[in-house]
Amino acid sequence: MENFTNETLNINSLPKFEEVNFSPLHKNYIKVVYINIAITLLILAIGIGVLLYFNKDLQNKNSYLIFGISYLVIAIIGFFSSIASVKRRGFAIREKDILYKRGLISTTTTMIPFNRVQHVAMHEGVFSRIFNLAQIQIFTAGGSTSDVKISGIEKEKAENIKELLMQKIQNHV
Amino acid sequence: MQIDFKSPQRQSILGIVVMFADTFQSVIRAMWAPLLIVLFKLEPEKYIIVGLSFVGIVILVAVIAFLQYRNFTFFLDEDNQEFILSKGILNKSRINIQLSKIQQVNINQSIIQKIVGVYSLDIDTAGTDKKEISIRAIDQDLALILKERLLDYDNKEQDVLDENHEAIPKEIITAKPFIKISYATLFKVGITSKYGRTIAILITFVITLYQTFKDAVDTFELDESQVDSVFEQGLGLVSVLILIFGLLILVLLINIVRTFIKHFDFEILKQKNTLVVTSGLFAKKNTLLNPLKVQITSFSQNFFQRKFKILDMNMKQASNNEVEEKQKKSNVIEIPGCDSDERNEILRIILGKIPEKGQELNPNFRYLIFRILLGVIFPVALFAFLSVTVIEDLQFYLPLIFVYLCLVGCVIYFGYKNYRLYSNSEFIILKHGAWDVENEIIQPHKIQGITTKQYFWHKSSDVGHLTLHTAAGDVQFHFGNFTEIKQLVNYWLYQVETSVENWM
Repeated sequence: MENFTNETLNINSLPKFEEVNFSPLHKNYIKVVYINIAITLLILAIGIGVLLYFNKDLQNKNSYLIFGISYLVIAIIGFFSSIASVKRRGFAIREKDILYKRGLISTTTTMIPFNRVQHVAMHEGVFSRIFNLAQIQIFTAGGSTSDVKISGIEKEKAENIKELLMQKIQNHV
Repeated sequence: MQIDFKSPQRQSILGIVVMFADTFQSVIRAMWAPLLIVLFKLEPEKYIIVGLSFVGIVILVAVIAFLQYRNFTFFLDEDNQEFILSKGILNKSRINIQLSKIQQVNINQSIIQKIVGVYSLDIDTAGTDKKEISIRAIDQDLALILKERLLDYDNKEQDVLDENHEAIPKEIITAKPFIKISYATLFKVGITSKYGRTIAILITFVITLYQTFKDAVDTFELDESQVDSVFEQGLGLVSVLILIFGLLILVLLINIVRTFIKHFDFEILKQKNTLVVTSGLFAKKNTLLNPLKVQITSFSQNFFQRKFKILDMNMKQASNNEVEEKQKKSNVIEIPGCDSDERNEILRIILGKIPEKGQELNPNFRYLIFRILLGVIFPVALFAFLSVTVIEDLQFYLPLIFVYLCLVGCVIYFGYKNYRLYSNSEFIILKHGAWDVENEIIQPHKIQGITTKQYFWHKSSDVGHLTLHTAAGDVQFHFGNFTEIKQLVNYWLYQVETSVENWM
């Protein structure tokens, strides 16, 4: 009880989450995204090809044109939007919480205090592993809407973050 | 009677009957469709084979039930504060539950259990690995003792808490129910609440009925035009009105019946620091509510309920996300038809005090733009488009459109008027709803995470969205002043990060 103080709190002097510097994802992560886009587009192309090959009604100039143009549009939009969305993602670790920011047309920031983290998982995708990257997933009791998944962190750094979080959890309990 | 749970125990011997009924039910449920086909398509000579195989199934199920009973044991490990349950015939499983993780212990009784005279005891746990544990057959006395033992851990914890906060007076243990809902109140609840749900049920019912009817018409090869013309003749304006009136009465009737079945003999007992809620007509439900584990407390009232001076209360407890919808519902404890004194009493037990509405946050008028776009402009445009292309006699439908606009206008306006976020240092209250005005109360230390969201076209007008994640679901406030939201978020983060109180 001797350490107990109860001074008036100046709300404006509280640390502001909106002024935190967010660190971007590793620059190699964009390459992983390229590969993923390429694979998705390839599968889509094969799908369209199969559809056109087996469907005799669609084998005319008009439908080729429609499919070609829409494929191109999807490809371009998908390509640029994923690049832009990767660039807009960022995370920050403060003394007592972790922040994750993302979103293309909207800016969404999720904040998880360390003393509410349930557990932490680290995932390594096939392509991420090539570039020595990993994904960190943070679980809370708030369910999947408040779980945070941060992709494209250098593996060593990811492990450090995981270690740090685990430590914080154990200290809390 | 042996009331020692330290050594492994079996269920009540009558459990075999319950197990048999359970397994038999699931077998029938899995096979009823093929069974029916077999019965109808079969020549009479072969009935004997069917009968024999039926007897075989019954015997098999009985053996399974017996083995299930034999292999089902449970006991309480007091040294490790664990409840241990073993079960299974081929796949044996052993489940250990930390007593501290137990969230709710429910004692229920289904019709079969009522006939046999036993109860089932279900244990709800929190945390990431959901293991639902249920003892299917146990005597009432034993169930009550076990329940008390299982929740003993909490009380110990609570006692420690009480010592720390000496200001909290100990609740006097009373065996008398402090809230009891009378038939008159139940009747009021029935005619005033949950129209939406009943209408939805009714619609699905009518659709299935129509489908079956149509199937019947198809199979009996009736002249379809005949049936259709019967429908058309019946659809004059007067009969439409009568139909609507009849439907209203039906909805009310169903509502009343549902309310009576669900909340019959509704009672709340205060036991130590927990609340015991019992209700139900056919299946008596007994739920234990630990105030510490309630994440969101809410009460709601609509226009009629305000006139009758009754309220609906809901207590949401921590729920696991992977859990199905059905179980999620059981994590909400509903108190129908309490008056404002009783509400205050409950709030005092759960939250420690009656929450006051703090600093008010209003939604921006952009809230209206969004709703009007969705509720008025889009449907009207669709209607206009349809009236040009498909429908011919537009005049006939105009009054309907007018009624629709009035309704939607009211919903949007009142929804906007009631949409508020109040916050002070102890409580966050979200008020919302156009018809059922609901107040959701959260304590800041029960927040698990916070998300803010802002669309780029809202940046210049400083408008943004807020989501508070709790273990019992999300609470959202949209179109608020973003500067104020950010300030509140910083404050809540500060509160969560410095709080030493357990969120559960």
